[in-house]
Amino acid sequence: MTDAVPKLAWKGVTKRFDGRAVLDGLDLSVAPGKSLVIIGGSGQGKSVTIKTALGLMRPEAGKIELDGKNVVGLSEGARRKLFSRIGVLFQGAALFDSLTVWENVAFRLINADGVPRKEARERAIEALDQVRLAPAVADRFPSELSGGMQKRAGLARAVVARPEILFFDEPTTGLDPITAAAINQLISDQVRRLGSTAVSITHDLASAQTIGDEIAMLHDGKIIWRGPAAELRTTDNPYVRQFVEGRAEGPISHAV
Amino acid sequence: MAEAEAARRVANPLQVLGRSTLAAVRMVGSVGVFAVRGVVAALTPPWFLSQLWRQIVAIGFFSLPVVGLTAIFTGAALALNIFTGGGRFNAEQVMPQIVALGITRELGPVLAALMLAGRVSAAIAAEIGAMRATEQIDAMRTLSTDPFRYLVGPRLLAGVLMLPLLTAVADTIGVAGGWLVATRVLEFNPTVYVRNTLDFLQAWDVVSGLIKAAVFGFIVALMGCYHGYNASGGARGVGRATTHAVVSSAILIFASDYLLTTFFTHAAQ
Amino acid sequence: MTLREQWAETAMGVVVLALAAGFLTYSLSVGGVAMKRGDYEISAKFGEAGSLAPGAAVTVAGVKVGAVSQVTLEPKTYLAVAKLSIDPTVKLPADSTAKITSDGLLGGAHIAIAPGASLDDLKPGGEIENTQGAVDIFGLIGSVIRPQGGGSSDAAASSPPAPANPATQPAESY
Repeated sequence: MTDAVPKLAWKGVTKRFDGRAVLDGLDLSVAPGKSLVIIGGSGQGKSVTIKTALGLMRPEAGKIELDGKNVVGLSEGARRKLFSRIGVLFQGAALFDSLTVWENVAFRLINADGVPRKEARERAIEALDQVRLAPAVADRFPSELSGGMQKRAGLARAVVARPEILFFDEPTTGLDPITAAAINQLISDQVRRLGSTAVSITHDLASAQTIGDEIAMLHDGKIIWRGPAAELRTTDNPYVRQFVEGRAEGPISHAV
Repeated sequence: MAEAEAARRVANPLQVLGRSTLAAVRMVGSVGVFAVRGVVAALTPPWFLSQLWRQIVAIGFFSLPVVGLTAIFTGAALALNIFTGGGRFNAEQVMPQIVALGITRELGPVLAALMLAGRVSAAIAAEIGAMRATEQIDAMRTLSTDPFRYLVGPRLLAGVLMLPLLTAVADTIGVAGGWLVATRVLEFNPTVYVRNTLDFLQAWDVVSGLIKAAVFGFIVALMGCYHGYNASGGARGVGRATTHAVVSSAILIFASDYLLTTFFTHAAQ
Repeated sequence: MTLREQWAETAMGVVVLALAAGFLTYSLSVGGVAMKRGDYEISAKFGEAGSLAPGAAVTVAGVKVGAVSQVTLEPKTYLAVAKLSIDPTVKLPADSTAKITSDGLLGGAHIAIAPGASLDDLKPGGEIENTQGAVDIFGLIGSVIRPQGGGSSDAAASSPPAPANPATQPAESY
């Protein structure tokens, strides 16, 4: 670890479900302005890692530090304030289906920040433009959009308030390779434009190498490898090798 | 080995009883905590007025057809039955009074509430359950908006405000149903029927029914929100939440109806 | 879910509201009048109204010709005043007799009118002066079953019952 205070750090975080430890003393940190990608197989605790950092799940043990301050067990009010510095793109985009696209993008502005609707709409359309969605899309409902467009709208919603930290939960899952590449490009553009710290989880290696400065591999609730994105394909770590080469045989055994 | 097996079989029913009792207690506790959080969210700012309006229209206005239809047929059937029953000891003439009393005190609020349990409680559970399943509720929290204030509070308020109004409509239409049968089929004098009803009814008959309705409205909205909010397991979980919302609202409506009626009866004495 | 998208439900909701409002308006407007269109109203005073209630039928020779619209007490005379709304096609002679007749042991009562012989008809708002009030059937039965003084049933019926039970006394004997 460098001497600078990391933007976000997990320290000895443990989370159990029905007695099984999904996160087992996880230690991980991201430096300010860097993009960290967490890779790993299904059920290895990637989503839980993000959810504990967001305060959507409370770990049984350990600390999660934002700018050096522990955020585990914050009150609802303090958590709400904290969220104004955070943007999240959920796996299925998680757009509100009863609201139009622009109302989704401007949700935080209207409902939490008290921005007048007219101004909020302008800022939403601006954010939609950033993710290359035409203003005509603004008045449609999420159910009328394709999966890729929903992801873009979700990205616009995550970046509209210029957050310090961005989380991406499986940003390319369920998309065709071309759309996935476009989304990856948009994500890295936006992260660079805002200068935000980014934490992503994915099992898509192409995605990981496009959007990540650093890559960490999660296995059995612990980080078993961590290094610059370029080293992912050259490391001799047997776990990473098996994951990258996509072999069924190796140190990672599947329960299936 | 056989003894251990036998011992296990003996212990099992007790274990099952204990476990289900604990589960029931935990359930009551979690509904209670949920209700308190919901009420606090409904009664303290910030309020999401556009959400409240949306729910008032969805819960109140769009329930009018089904509530009206139920009320008119129930009023008509009730009139026929009371006429038949009254006829067994030559008391057909008190039919308008009994119909009015039965509808305002009991059937108006209970039937309107049951219709809402089927229509609104299920819809709330399905909508919030789907939002839970697709991470929309998590997303809302990350957008610095409390789902209790945005989703639960407006629905609870709309339920408590709208069911009494729907019940007032059900009361009127129910009496009208009885009146229709009485005047068209049983040859009652229309004006005498109406006048008997109005002379006989006391304000408390109607008001006690409306108080019941407010409680039922809270129950219906609360059960929908609770089961939807705690839905888990994808589409099947949403389906389960919907069923639980309807069944638990119906049971709670009947139980609280009995308790409230008992309370009102004692309070009146 | 907006009003415009669901026009059918919206229309149904409006219809239900209109029905309820219509019936309520009708009820409140006729509630104070208590007459079918065209009915005329007459009154009759009784010493004992018994279980006569508004809505009770008014019959002539067993055929329904109207209904009791109101039963009130006349404070000065302590007589029960019944307002009767009568079918306009039925003209009643001025000297007709109104009698409260029980529908059964436990049931309500209705008013049976025995037409008189007068050539003049009762005018709307008129009063039937010959009346017979309700008979307390339980009082009668009681006095037959347990006659005071041990006479025949004839004697029991004609002699007044024990003062300890004044309620059993018919208001108007016949």
